[in-house]
Amino acid sequence: MSVQSLEIRRSSASVWGSPSGMRSVPTVAKYIDTSTCIGCKACEVACQEWNDLPPLSTQQVGTYQTMPTLDAGFWNLIRFDEREVEGGLMWLMRKDQCMHCAEPGCLEACPAPGAIVQYANGIVDVNQDNCIGCGYCETGCPFDVPKFHAKTGKMAKCTLCVDRSSVGLEPACVKACPTGCLHFGTKEDMVALGSLRVDQLKKGGFTTAALYDPQGVGGTSVVTVLAHADHPEWYGLPRDPHVPLGVRFWKNILRPVGLLAIAGAFVAAVGHYFNFGAKQVQGSADSETNLPQV
Amino acid sequence: MSAVPIRDRALDDAVTVARDREDVAVGNEIVRHRLSSRLIHWSVALSFFVSVLTGMPIWTPLFRWMADLFGGLSVCRFIHPWAGIVFTVISTVQFFHWLGDMKLEPNEKDWLGPRAWKYLKYQGDDSEVGKYNGGQKLFFFAVSLGALGLLVSGVVMWYPLSFSQLVRELSILLHDVTFILFSAAIIWHIYLGTAAEPGTFGSMVRGTVTKAWARLHHPRWYREVTGQK
Repeated sequence: MSVQSLEIRRSSASVWGSPSGMRSVPTVAKYIDTSTCIGCKACEVACQEWNDLPPLSTQQVGTYQTMPTLDAGFWNLIRFDEREVEGGLMWLMRKDQCMHCAEPGCLEACPAPGAIVQYANGIVDVNQDNCIGCGYCETGCPFDVPKFHAKTGKMAKCTLCVDRSSVGLEPACVKACPTGCLHFGTKEDMVALGSLRVDQLKKGGFTTAALYDPQGVGGTSVVTVLAHADHPEWYGLPRDPHVPLGVRFWKNILRPVGLLAIAGAFVAAVGHYFNFGAKQVQGSADSETNLPQV
Repeated sequence: MSAVPIRDRALDDAVTVARDREDVAVGNEIVRHRLSSRLIHWSVALSFFVSVLTGMPIWTPLFRWMADLFGGLSVCRFIHPWAGIVFTVISTVQFFHWLGDMKLEPNEKDWLGPRAWKYLKYQGDDSEVGKYNGGQKLFFFAVSLGALGLLVSGVVMWYPLSFSQLVRELSILLHDVTFILFSAAIIWHIYLGTAAEPGTFGSMVRGTVTKAWARLHHPRWYREVTGQK
């Protein structure tokens, strides 16, 4: 669902890259403060409602969590976890959705031209018309976000409400949040807001608080305040996410080398023909000229 | 009565014989590949090329145009795994069909190295080459192994969510490496079977080669079949 008013900075399976830079737009970001989230799930409902996603059956996973993981028809999931920290019980909730990486692994892995795009404002979006449902994006994503819809056979995930944000509205989840733990704005502003909140948390005794904006994927357009940032895995976040090494090696090394190798085999065959010519039969079967050379 | 072209009876006999027998001399020809061998070979070739033409546009957008031969990339994505299944099934049939002829003789291991270069320079001593030379046998085992690698990695890529991240990444790499080597090998297979060695292609079409061809390329086989020197 590409948006006309947004320039595309990067497009999957693009040969020449995407020309952009005519417009000047700031990178946007969503701010999530896990320390003020109360787990009400208003964001889950707002997401379903705005995106016209029909309700899915909840699954009991032993916590208040709606279902085990994100789903192609469920793009916003509050993860629940309990941890004992210094004798006390911490109830950890984190809003999980696409992180909108600056260097998206899904986009890098995707073989379908234009199926995954990154707009100039940093939003990573899926163009279902072009998606072929191969699943490479699932292998490319370090956050386990892209999911396949059984009915359409196509990938679907959070769009950061690109249809809202491109006309100056905040995403539906942010609009619905009752505690103010969600904000939307420029990445710069959201990082500044996060730093303020991290300072507050540190003063309040959460010495390991930090803003989760992993640089391994170039930073993300979802910045998350974690009170226990020394244990991102408690929140279901990878410690140091990268585009998987196998995917990078495949696209950036193996593929060009492979192309050269195949072209090389062809050129070598042509070269052989010009150099040595054909191995011709000379005369008849019993002629001495038709003996194999020794 | 219109003129009926007079056809060489011996040639027609060879074609008839080639339906179900090979390694027999008929007139000036020797049957090299009976009909079943040829059908298997061309079935493998057809399913291979359908797999290649539907797989390469998914591999890189440089070959996106190939997808239009089938009606788009989504169609390719649908056809490719099934073409791959057909390819591996027929490759398996081919493997057992030819296995008996492909037993490597001790001295044929040289074909992995300098022997192959000599052969390509037309300088090798071919006098003891039987129905298949060492290079052909190695090619046979390489593509059979390649078909297995493509199948195993392809199944993982077909159902990625049933496998772990590591297995998925390794499969993508294995599928790519195998495909690259396979394609390079097939280019040379086609070249050697057509332009480089005239008379060879006919063995996969008519099923026969000329005696002169057999004596040049596969002298020991020629002696075995004809009893001549």
